[in-house]
Amino acid sequence: MKKLLTVTSSIAMLVSSSAFAEMRISGYGSVIAGKTLGTVDDPLNPGQTRDEILTADFYDVGQYDNDISIKPESIFAVQGVMDLADNFSVTAQLVAKGIDDFEPEFDWYYVTYQATDDLTLMAGRRNIPMYYFSEFSEVGYAYPWMRPPSNLYWWQVTQFNGISALYDFEIGDYSNTLTVFYGNEYSDDNVEMLYYNKLYGGNARTVNEFWTDITGMNWNISGDNFDVRFVYFQNDRDRETIQQDGSIDPYTPFSQTFIGVGGNVSLDQFTLLFDVNFVEYDDEVGTEFPTYLLSLVYNWDDYQPYISYSKADQERTKVPTEDLEEHYVLSYGVRYNFLPNAAFKIQYDKFVDQGDKATGWAYHGDARAISLGVDFVF
Amino acid sequence: MLWPVKKVTWKVILAVSTFSLFNTSSAFAEVAIVVHPSNASSFDQKHIKKIFLGKAKSFSNGRSAILISTSSKDPVTDEFNKKVIGKSSSQVKAYWSKILFTGKGTPPQEMGSASDVIAAVASNPDAIGYVDASAISDTVKVVATF
Repeated sequence: MKKLLTVTSSIAMLVSSSAFAEMRISGYGSVIAGKTLGTVDDPLNPGQTRDEILTADFYDVGQYDNDISIKPESIFAVQGVMDLADNFSVTAQLVAKGIDDFEPEFDWYYVTYQATDDLTLMAGRRNIPMYYFSEFSEVGYAYPWMRPPSNLYWWQVTQFNGISALYDFEIGDYSNTLTVFYGNEYSDDNVEMLYYNKLYGGNARTVNEFWTDITGMNWNISGDNFDVRFVYFQNDRDRETIQQDGSIDPYTPFSQTFIGVGGNVSLDQFTLLFDVNFVEYDDEVGTEFPTYLLSLVYNWDDYQPYISYSKADQERTKVPTEDLEEHYVLSYGVRYNFLPNAAFKIQYDKFVDQGDKATGWAYHGDARAISLGVDFVF
Repeated sequence: MLWPVKKVTWKVILAVSTFSLFNTSSAFAEVAIVVHPSNASSFDQKHIKKIFLGKAKSFSNGRSAILISTSSKDPVTDEFNKKVIGKSSSQVKAYWSKILFTGKGTPPQEMGSASDVIAAVASNPDAIGYVDASAISDTVKVVATF
C-alpha cells in the first residue's frame, strides 16, 4: 500500500507540475500471469529435480516456476515529457515492475534538443540500442509477443548514461535514421550477476558490473513495407564480485563488440520479424555469441497469431569446444487487440537447453511455460 | 505440445469462419485529409502516409507538420489507417508506442470528435488531420480523399 501511495504521489507530482510547463503524460503497462508446466532434473544438482524455470526477464531475473505469478513481467510505466521550449524537452519514465515489488524507479531520464528538423540530440539515461527490440523491450503493446525472446535479451546491462545524436535523411523513397551514441553504465548491485553467483553456489555480498565507453551506431532504413536496423557498438567490460569479507575476486577486463541486423517485413497479411546478432569478446578464449530470432505473425483483423524461434549459442575461437552454453526458445501465441489501446496475449514457450551439462553450462534447464495477460498504452 | 494438433486445427477453422462473418460488417466511410486553408503544399498518398507515420516531418512548403487524429473509437480512424497507412489501427498504435516511449517522435494528437479535428486544423496553419468526408466544413481545405 505504501508503494502504491509512492507511485500515486509520484504521478501526482508529474501531473501537477504541468501547471508550470507544457507537460505531456503517457504510459504503458502489462499485467501478465504465467507459470511453468513441469519439473526437470536440476542441471546444476544432478539427481535432484526442481520446477522448470522460465526466465522471462534476465536483467531483472523475472522467472516463472510452477506457482502461477504476476511478478516476473508485470509492469506499469508513466512517461512525462516536459516541453521547456519549442525545440527542447525533458523526458522521464517512472517504471514500476512486479519483480521489484512495483517499487517505481526513473528508468529513463533525458533531455532532447531538436537542433534542426533532421538532427536530434539526446543526453541522459536511456536503454542501449542493442537488439532491434532493446529500446522498447518493456513496451509490450509495441510488439506481438509476450516479450522479445528472453534467451537473446539476456544481458546484465540494458541501460546507459550517455548521449545520442539522431540524423534523419531520405534515400529515394526510403526513410533513414543514423544514430551515434556514447555512454557508460556502472551497474552497482547487478541483480543478474548476483543471481548467477548464487546459482553456482557462491555467497558474494554483491556484484558490480561496469560497461564503459559504450560507443556505437544504429542505421535504420524503412520503406513502405519494411523496417530494418543495423547496429554496431563496442565497450569495455569489468566486474567486481565482492565477497562477504569485503575482498574482491580477481577479474580480467576485456572489450566486446556487438553487431547485428534486425527488423520487420510485411507481406500481405504476414509480418516477418527477425534479428541476427553477433557478440565478440577480446578475452583470452575468444568468446563469441551468435544469436538469431525469426518470427512470423499473421495479421488478421484484431487477431495476430504468431510463432517465434530464437537461438543463442556460445563459442570460443581460441580454445575450440562445444561444451558451452546453447539454447533455443520456440514460442507460439495469439495477440488479440480487444480495445484500441489494449491487447490480450496468450503465449506458450518451450525453452530447450542444449548446453553442456558436465561443465555446468546447461544451467537454465528445459522449461515449458504458459503466460497470458494484457498490454496497454495510454 | 500443449494441445493435440487436430483439436487446434478445428478451432482455427471455426475461428476463421466466425471472423469472416464479422468482416463483412466493416464501415465504408470516405476519409478526407484536411489542412489549413493557407497551406498551399502539394500532397500525394505517399507523402501523407509518411507525414502520419512521422517519417516526413514537413510539408512541401517547408513548415513542420502538426498531426491531428480523431478519436481511436471513431470508425474513420480504422478507414484512414487501412486505406492510407495500409495497417490496422492497433498496428499503427503499436508503431507509435515504440516511437513515443523511445523519445523518437510524438504521435498525432487525438481529438474527441470530427468537429474538434476541424477546429484544430482551422486554427493552426501547420496542422493536418483526417475526418469522415461527410464532416468537412469550409474552414479547412481538403487535399485528398480516400
